Amino acid sequence: MSEQIRTVRLPVMRRVLEANDDIAAATRVELARRHIFAIDLMGAPGSGKTALLEATLRALAGRRRAAVLVGDLATRRDGDRLARYCDRVVQISTGEGCHLEAAQVRDALAQLDLDGVDILFIENVGNLICPVGFDLGQAAKVGLFSLTEGDDKAAKHPYFVTAADLLLLNKIDLAPHLSFDRAGFETDVRLLNPSVPILDISATTGEGFDSWLAWLDNSAAAAST
Amino acid sequence: MLRVHEFSIAEGLAAQVLANAPAGAHVRDVEIRIGALRGLEPEALLMCWDSVTFGTPLAGATLQIDQRPWSIRCSQCGREWTSPVPFVSCQCGNATPVPSGGDELDLVAISIDEEET
Repeated sequence: MSEQIRTVRLPVMRRVLEANDDIAAATRVELARRHIFAIDLMGAPGSGKTALLEATLRALAGRRRAAVLVGDLATRRDGDRLARYCDRVVQISTGEGCHLEAAQVRDALAQLDLDGVDILFIENVGNLICPVGFDLGQAAKVGLFSLTEGDDKAAKHPYFVTAADLLLLNKIDLAPHLSFDRAGFETDVRLLNPSVPILDISATTGEGFDSWLAWLDNSAAAAST
Repeated sequence: MLRVHEFSIAEGLAAQVLANAPAGAHVRDVEIRIGALRGLEPEALLMCWDSVTFGTPLAGATLQIDQRPWSIRCSQCGREWTSPVPFVSCQCGNATPVPSGGDELDLVAISIDEEET
């Protein structure tokens, strides 16, 4: 009696990141139940994510109750900076990880008192590529570009642009000193994502913050109903 | 070394393959499909796959990557074609045809060895 080996192909057709997506979906349900509007804030290192959150938390004080999760490779510096403006901050040290994953957000949320919180900011690891494909359970992805990065960053990071529900263009106060092609930047964005709002802001001078805060207020109000 | 996201994806893939293979089966091939938006480096993913599966029952399983191209549509002449990169000019002279790509990241199929007696 001889044994033969034959190869059998089994169709599967399931998402590779299904386990992450399932955790994110559970987080999304829980945040919606608590009427919390959650933002995944993504941007390059040095684009001003933490500075944006510092200025935003200052502006929201007394109007909205915020909580912050901040992902970083190694240090606690961002968490310490934000704790000056918010009493509900959890630093997630990703070690060698280049992006946050849904399980890290779920575990960090378990350390937070979410009672009364309206808005949850999740500051992702500084990176324009890796974080985009990992659902965290957020209600909106906000992409932060800045003038100092150069006007080609939208074109070079298509997934970042298509995945964003809002794009912020930071450091707009530096425009007189830089040769950033604002119209060309917007052309690239529009080819990839025709409808995403783009807000020019400065976390340093507060320029454009009226529009950014109005977007936050409208989103938080919609989540609270 | 910084963990590239291809490593996380390889880990998720290995778990998904094991969850969908019959217990104890020898997995020979793993077929995945990646949308253009994902921007994944096939070579990085292959390296991570080898690393993640090393010393496990999936060691030696071949990863077959079907990387989907960008769909390009020229809004001036109406021509449609596919491209490995999103920003390209049309032969009609239009410098800004519209790129679109999928973000799928799917385990399509696995092939296992079955013994016949």
